Amino acid sequence: MATTQLDRPARPGGIAARSRRRSRDRSGPTAVLFSLPALLIFAVFTILPTAYTFVISLFNWNPLNVSQSTFIGADNYRRLFAHSTPSFAASALTSLYFTAGMVIGGTAVSLAIAVLLSRGGAWLSGVRVAVFVPHVTPLVATSIVWVWIFNPQFGLANAVLRWFHLPVVDWLDSSTTAMPAILTYSLWHEVGFTVVIFLGGLAVVSGELGEAARVDGANRWQEFWYVTWPQLRPVTLFVVTISTISSLQAFTQFYVMTEGGPAHATTTLSYLLYQEAFVFFHTGYAAALAVVLFVVTALFTLLQFRTRRSTLRSTSA
Amino acid sequence: MRKVRVAAALAVCALGAGGLAACGSGSSSGKTTVTFMEAMSSGTLKTSMQTLTKRFERAHPDIDVQLQVEPDYPTLRNKETAALSAGKPPTIGQAYSDWAATYANSNVLVPLADYAKPADLKALYPGVRRDLYLPTDHKLYMWPFNKSVVIQYYNQKMLAAKGKRAPKTWDEFADTAKAVSGNGTTGIAIDPGGSAGPAGGEAWYEILAEAYGTSVFAADGTPRFTSPAAVKAMQYLVGLKKSGALTLGKNYPGQVALGAGKGGFDVSSVASYYYNKKAVGGKFPMGTAPLPTGPGGTQANQLAGTNIVMFAKASDEERTAAWQYLKFLTSPQSQAYWAEHSGYLPVTPAALPKMTDFIKQNPYQKFAAQALTTAKADPPYPWITQAQGMLAVAMQSSLTGKQSPADALKSAQQQAMDAMKSGQ
Repeated sequence: MATTQLDRPARPGGIAARSRRRSRDRSGPTAVLFSLPALLIFAVFTILPTAYTFVISLFNWNPLNVSQSTFIGADNYRRLFAHSTPSFAASALTSLYFTAGMVIGGTAVSLAIAVLLSRGGAWLSGVRVAVFVPHVTPLVATSIVWVWIFNPQFGLANAVLRWFHLPVVDWLDSSTTAMPAILTYSLWHEVGFTVVIFLGGLAVVSGELGEAARVDGANRWQEFWYVTWPQLRPVTLFVVTISTISSLQAFTQFYVMTEGGPAHATTTLSYLLYQEAFVFFHTGYAAALAVVLFVVTALFTLLQFRTRRSTLRSTSA
Repeated sequence: MRKVRVAAALAVCALGAGGLAACGSGSSSGKTTVTFMEAMSSGTLKTSMQTLTKRFERAHPDIDVQLQVEPDYPTLRNKETAALSAGKPPTIGQAYSDWAATYANSNVLVPLADYAKPADLKALYPGVRRDLYLPTDHKLYMWPFNKSVVIQYYNQKMLAAKGKRAPKTWDEFADTAKAVSGNGTTGIAIDPGGSAGPAGGEAWYEILAEAYGTSVFAADGTPRFTSPAAVKAMQYLVGLKKSGALTLGKNYPGQVALGAGKGGFDVSSVASYYYNKKAVGGKFPMGTAPLPTGPGGTQANQLAGTNIVMFAKASDEERTAAWQYLKFLTSPQSQAYWAEHSGYLPVTPAALPKMTDFIKQNPYQKFAAQALTTAKADPPYPWITQAQGMLAVAMQSSLTGKQSPADALKSAQQQAMDAMKSGQ
């Protein structure tokens, strides 16, 4: 009986030994030395400022003259939950509104577009590029363009309404329509990226399962719902995770299009943080906001990773 | 190989040393350097500032003035604060009086009383002079720079087509704005600003409240947003909005609508003159007129614009050089040039005789300069800009129908009082 490669015992200096050596290399002093520059940059620009932000959050901080700053313990955190306008809770709700719109709307729209574009062909390749292009445009520049689209007097949006003899809308100047208007812009800008991710997922979905379902009498919708989408679950979870994080951190469009208004209708936590830190210079309070926003984002991310892990486990089982 | 390494290390050190030397301050030419952080970043404002500075440097060859131009006022404030935080502020900087109050509370300003002589102060318009002191210690902390008042710009052709002229009272203004509105045209478009800061629409509201009898801030900075005058002014704007004579917008909407022939009026700063003229582009004659008056002929206007402050980190030589520059900027010759080219108003009446020809061609400068004698600046307290932002939000709430004027102003009053109490 011929022996196979797998039957042979590992020789000293063979695969196992090489693997052990590699493992030693990765955790040894040489490895630490090699990763030191990256670690140093990360420490200087991320870890230390984060820690410093936490320290500042415990002070009534005077950025103009630090010697006038006074330690106030958790007072800034208490103020977060005290009555103020806009309150922390109201801004958190606004952030959740935007995040829900981006995550639910963005995932649904991008999945739908990806399914439509997954068939391929030269024409559809062109459409894929067209769908992705908004994502590579600068946020500030395109936000300004959309401010003009939503201009009540000269904008394209109201021109369309007038053409259909419908009443015009104060898109960015009404508390009711400002957030939907920003969501529309943000979806236009972001969907291209998530479509590409879904297209990647669809490219590796098994065609045989769909074929089997069709043989069993499933219609298009049933095939998508019961066969295709379940196979895209890991991709969907990834899209949901990154959409949640990016939506919670979204700032530019709020800064350019509405400045958090009208009447605080689009004051998200990120915008409130900017306003407190860089407009009113309530540095300590803003630092407390930043710490809480960091914790909230981290918790969301952890929750989603945990869900993802358990989903992957149940899928592989 | 070792030689190569040594050479490389020496090269890096040399480059580093060169870089550090380049970052260092001071001047190798023996000149005193004055750094001026300002926001005159576009159009004729930028070129006029550069010309005046060159003239000064020619007259003072031992002083080098470096203009540090920022794109807008919010960025300017951020940069000044960041520079102060880093312990490297410019020698002098443009500042609104409430910024100056915040800086002075943090002990980062130089009082100017040691430099300004009584004759220097006497040469200024009284309203301008009053705006230079901070109420906390009554010391002179600021020197005037770009001063303006609000005027009305209007589409002469549009008004004439409706048999109207420039309105003299705010009631007449409302009638005219309503008369020209319709078919895609609006009497006036405004931007109130938002919680982060007020815009031109909010300034107009403050003027209206004063024209109706009570300014929105008392002399000690106490907000008076719930006075009958304040409520009436808000109702006035809501009435215009409801009748389709007022619309909201962003990025100078009044100027855009006026320039496009889709707006009857623009109520904005006299410094907008060149921008409005450019927007109109000769398509129709653009009229200018003083602001209408309130009931009983009450005149109200706002002294807007910034002053210049000197930061405490400056050395004695830099302070002396900076003061010479400040004095030069407010000299009658400089002010006449500045007013003719920037659209801002001269801070000294001594400049007017040097502008005779210009005033003949641009009569708006004369009535605007006259308004300097009665226009009032908002009181210089640290919370004022934040409170104005709250008023802007009240305007948004009222004009979009989210709240009644009285309720919106009550809410703004409460928040402004909190801001005042916290001393921010």
